[in-house]
Amino acid sequence: MKYIKSLSIILIVLSIISTNSFAQKTNKNIVDFKLKNTDGSFVSLSDYPNAKGFIIIFTCNHCPFAKLYPPRLNNLNNKYKPLGVPLIAISSTDTLMYEEDTYSNMVIKANDEHFNFPYLFDEIQEVAKNFKAQKTPHAFVIWKENNQWVVKYNGAIDNNGMEPEKVTESYVANAVHELLANKPVKTSETKSIGCQIAFRRK
Amino acid sequence: MNKIVCITFVVLCFSNNTKAQTIQIVKFYTLKQSVYNNSDTVYVVNFFASWCKPCIQEIPEFLTFDKGIKNSKIKLVFVSVDLKKDQEKLLQIVQKYSLQNVFLLDETNANNWINKIDKHWSGTIPATLIIKKGKHKKFIADAISSETLYNLTK
Repeated sequence: MKYIKSLSIILIVLSIISTNSFAQKTNKNIVDFKLKNTDGSFVSLSDYPNAKGFIIIFTCNHCPFAKLYPPRLNNLNNKYKPLGVPLIAISSTDTLMYEEDTYSNMVIKANDEHFNFPYLFDEIQEVAKNFKAQKTPHAFVIWKENNQWVVKYNGAIDNNGMEPEKVTESYVANAVHELLANKPVKTSETKSIGCQIAFRRK
Repeated sequence: MNKIVCITFVVLCFSNNTKAQTIQIVKFYTLKQSVYNNSDTVYVVNFFASWCKPCIQEIPEFLTFDKGIKNSKIKLVFVSVDLKKDQEKLLQIVQKYSLQNVFLLDETNANNWINKIDKHWSGTIPATLIIKKGKHKKFIADAISSETLYNLTK
C-alpha cells in the first residue's frame, strides 16, 4: 500500500513536470507590455480600449522567413483592425547576434515596407518570454476574456510562406474569424520553421 | 600521349578522392525513407539553414564527430530548411565545410512534417535527430557538441 502511495506521488510529480515543460501556449494569460515603436512612441495593449483581440506577430528584419510576410501583415491589419483586432509586430531578436535587427534598422524596415501597424522593439526580450515566442515569424492571436488577454492561437501565419498565392489555410485569419463569431478556434496551434529567438543568458 | 594519359590518371584519382559537394532536393517522404530504414546504420540528422548563425557555428562539432567515427556504421546527414530560392547560399556553406549527404527539404508547409520528426519540436533550429535501426532514438532541439554526439551514438 505504501509502495502504491509513493508510486502515485511520483507519477503526479512527473505529470506536473512534463505538463510544465511542454506547456501549451494556448489559453495562457498575457501580461500587458510597454514597448518602443519605430516612430519613437510607446505602445501598450491598454492603448486600445476597444480592441476585442490582437494579432501579435514576433518577427524581425534578418530572418528569410519573416521577410516573406510584410505585405501579408499589412493586409491582416487592414482587414481586422476595423473589426477590433489590430495587428502588432514585435522584434525580440538578440541584436548582438544579428546587427540587422537593431532599433535603427527596424525604423528603416518599417518605412521601406510601409508597415501600417506598430513594429515594437523588445530589447530585453521579456515580452517574447511572456508569450513563449520561439521564432520569427511566430504568430499569436490573443482575445479579451474577463478583462484578461488570453492566447487563443499560436503558430504559423498561414500554410505557405514562399508562395502567398498558394495559401490554402490562413491560420491567423481563420482563428480571428472564429473568435469574432464566438466560436472555439479549431486549429489553435501549428508548427513552422522560423529563425530561433535566442534568449540571452543573463 | 603519355602526358595526356598521365594527366587523365591524375584527374581521375583526384575526382575519386574528393566527393562532389552536392545538394539533393527532396520531399519529406523521400528524406524519411532514406534515414528511417532497418539497416544497422545509425543516422545523425542535423536540421540547419544557411541563415541560422548558431547552426553554422556548430558545424565544426559535427565535423569533429565525423572524423572520429570513420569506418563505423554511423552516417551523418544534413537537412537544410533553406528556401529553395536560396540554394546558392546553402551551396556556399556546403562547399566551405565540405559537407556530404546534404538534403534541401522541398516542403512549403512545415506544419505537415515537423510533428513527424518529434511532436515536441516547435520547428526551431539547430535541431538534431538520432535514428538507430529505423527507430527514433533521440531528438535535441538545440545546439549539440561532438562529445554529446559520441555519447548518443554509442
